[in-house]
Amino acid sequence: MREILSNLMDAASRRADYADVRHVRSRAERLAVRGGSVEAADRTEEEGIGVRVRLGGGWGFAAARGSDRAAAEEALERALAVADGAPRSAGAGAPLAPERPASGRFTAGVAPGEDPFEVPVSEKLAVLAAAEEAMRGDPRLRVTSAHFLAFGEEKVFASSEGALFEQSTAECGGGIVAHAVEGGEAQIRSYPASFRGDVAQAGYGHFAALDLETHAPRVAEEALALLSAPVCPAQRTTLILDGEQLALQLHESVGHAVELDRILGSEASYAGTSFLSPGDLGRRGYGSSLMNVTADATTPGGLGTFGWDDEGVPAQATPIVREGVLTGFLSSRESAAEIGLERSAGCMRAAGFARQPLVRMTNLHLEPGAAGSLEDLIADTDRGVLMETNRSWSIDSRRLHFQFATELAYEIRAGRRGRLLRNPSYSGVTPEFWTGLDAVCSRSDWRLHGVINCGKGEPGQAMRVSHGTSPARFRNVQVGVA
Amino acid sequence: MAVPALLEVAQRALESVPPGVDGAQATASAERSLTLRFARSRPTQATSIDDVSVLVTVVRDGHVAAAGTNRSEPDALAACAAAACAAAEAAARMAGSGAYPGLPDPAALRGHGGHDPATARLDPSTGGAAMAVAFEEVGAVGAEAHGSWSQGEVETAVASSAGLAVLDRVTDAALRVSALEPGGRSGMATAAAFAAGGIDARAVARRAAAKVADLAEPARLEPGEYPVVLEAPAVAEVVDWVGRLAFDGLAYAEGRSAVSDRLGRRVAAPSINLSDSPRFRGTLPRAFDAEGVPKNPLPLIQDGVAHRVVHDTRSAALAGASTTGHALVPGGSGSGAVPTNLVLVGGGAADEAELCRPIERGVYVTRFWYTNPVRPREGIVTGTTRDGTFLIEDGQVTRPLEDLRLTDSVLGVLERTQAMTSRLELVTEVRHYGRRFATGVVCPALRASSLRFTG
Repeated sequence: MREILSNLMDAASRRADYADVRHVRSRAERLAVRGGSVEAADRTEEEGIGVRVRLGGGWGFAAARGSDRAAAEEALERALAVADGAPRSAGAGAPLAPERPASGRFTAGVAPGEDPFEVPVSEKLAVLAAAEEAMRGDPRLRVTSAHFLAFGEEKVFASSEGALFEQSTAECGGGIVAHAVEGGEAQIRSYPASFRGDVAQAGYGHFAALDLETHAPRVAEEALALLSAPVCPAQRTTLILDGEQLALQLHESVGHAVELDRILGSEASYAGTSFLSPGDLGRRGYGSSLMNVTADATTPGGLGTFGWDDEGVPAQATPIVREGVLTGFLSSRESAAEIGLERSAGCMRAAGFARQPLVRMTNLHLEPGAAGSLEDLIADTDRGVLMETNRSWSIDSRRLHFQFATELAYEIRAGRRGRLLRNPSYSGVTPEFWTGLDAVCSRSDWRLHGVINCGKGEPGQAMRVSHGTSPARFRNVQVGVA
Repeated sequence: MAVPALLEVAQRALESVPPGVDGAQATASAERSLTLRFARSRPTQATSIDDVSVLVTVVRDGHVAAAGTNRSEPDALAACAAAACAAAEAAARMAGSGAYPGLPDPAALRGHGGHDPATARLDPSTGGAAMAVAFEEVGAVGAEAHGSWSQGEVETAVASSAGLAVLDRVTDAALRVSALEPGGRSGMATAAAFAAGGIDARAVARRAAAKVADLAEPARLEPGEYPVVLEAPAVAEVVDWVGRLAFDGLAYAEGRSAVSDRLGRRVAAPSINLSDSPRFRGTLPRAFDAEGVPKNPLPLIQDGVAHRVVHDTRSAALAGASTTGHALVPGGSGSGAVPTNLVLVGGGAADEAELCRPIERGVYVTRFWYTNPVRPREGIVTGTTRDGTFLIEDGQVTRPLEDLRLTDSVLGVLERTQAMTSRLELVTEVRHYGRRFATGVVCPALRASSLRFTG
């Protein structure tokens, strides 16, 4: 494969300003048990070649299944043809940010004996069945389910500049969900996270360590308790977010906002733009002095961890916000060059062989603070609301005005957890919200949270990313908005 | 891939399934597509895809397992079948008898005219010409053009141990143009059809450009309830959520649907007639669902009354009903069944301007963005407006507004609908996460007496 791709890039270098090619073999497994039956036991494998060429500033990309020379050459011809079919415009085609051609091999996610695809399906189903059964019993629990996910990817990359490398990753995880219904009221509770649980770049031990069965009775009890809990009242108050909800808050209001392709308008019609501009770098206040955000593609276990991105830029850690000031963007070689950065931040990622790389999040973290544990933070809070586990998310196309809902909340009174509250939600404006950040829990409570459904691009690409967070506190937030 | 070859691939995959299972289905699908994106009035990303995928689904003791590949050599198909069988066997051993009732029997299919050979040729110059027109028209108002052109051909072959051997071929094309003026305001227009020749790129670009031609600064509107006129893309978003939150047969059977306990009762204005109509004029037709069950028209709301929900085989078994041909995956999905060809019948208004006329003070919405359910059981969704939000005063659009957040019941919007245009549009998105599966909503623009804006 290395030889086929290298030779293809030799040919491409004579016909395009730049070209790269990936051969990707992807695997996925999804298992689910629901109501005592196996809901899903699916495994898919696909492999193919994706060729990308740059002509006059525009990108042509073609994907073909298979792994032979003919498929690669046919894909190159199509990539050149579709790039050539677009109208040309003056001023396009500035050089890409320079990068030394990458070479080598990178492997992550699987310790010996830990390959999630090698564990028998029966063993994984047994874990799910036990967890799902442990949630059942009350007739108001209309749906109980447990699920397992695994992903694997092997990739060979070559470019017209001489890059040639291989990398492979493995990811797995899972979770449980209980839906409780009574009359017109419906509530949901999940563990360890909503929307398919928690996935990490890790072997089977990560899934096993989630210990779904132990948590199942609590999840069921909380779903039932929510049915009759009082509604989260509308008020401006102090808000504490658990790590998972904070991860999505970070994802939506920081991660997407600092994607340089959005800032430059390349995604204006679909994913949207950003309230930021290139001139904000190093100057614009994003939040309080406790806000330190890093994009780190080297974090062990992160779904955005790799050796090189999908245009051959090595993994790196980029400070995005330091002490509340914007210090970095997520970028590609093209977008970095456009605003005069010396180098790409290495954020080009593609979902499988049949999509071209886009500027994506890698692992975006809110660095830990010094507020101790979540319980310490609650004890330090006189009045407020603690919200846990995302249920709904929405933010405008400039990443400014957002609204989130979570599965449950607790009122906080005099430093203690008070009543359970149902239908909690909050809204805000990005810089104002982050300026209200006045406490971040310590490293002891900091952990990675996987997001496996980050959508972008046309045709669409669902990317898997991770966010490291610990619970944090925000002052003067409007809650109870929906 | 030629048509007979694709059905042959499905049949070879089916033959790879060893004996001893209760049923098996093989689905082969071939996608050829071209998507051209543009931004700042220049081309940015062109993507050409040529791929074939095979999915083998096996039923064992009421459990369903599946394995997929994008290779079609005999060894790959055999490995795929073996993986599906092993998983089904594991499921049966672990959980005893499952709830899946078995693969559906073959039924007569009706043809449709949803395939256009010219669109299937994927000539890049078609989209390139549309792009050039967008640059010209949007540039004429001092703005830059952003958007995408996409066209594709998808063939799907299904063979099953129940005797099914069917094949469908469809094409689709879509253009979206967003005009972005230097001050940051944007306007959008779209068009879609099963045939690329049915898209008038100049008309789309002009509609988008007209939304940013007015140089007035956007005004800010206080949160509250306002009468609204929704263009077809905004209506399509509302109707799509109605389909998902209210008419998913699995959610209905489990008491989680927005119309749970409300079938046969009024849920919308008497003028609302909503159906899933796979061969309605202007839609993206489809012959069968993922289980090979024929697609047929199904009324969902008739004269404002909730009538039926949609099922795949799995949800139908749970509800004691029959499949309505709405499976999204073979064997049915734990995520439920959703309509894919929604049609909202129009009214008598000539255009959006006529819809605005009775409104003293209200909001004109081009489209919604980033909508998500907040409380699905109540049909409550939140999202924002985008790409052309305007103030209506004394019956006319007077000035642009800053984008607004809405948090409201999608069924409530249909309940408060007062009038609709007679003209219907097909609205689709070039999302296509995974395999291309073009769906769309055919709907009019409408006026509703109120929409709840929360910020």
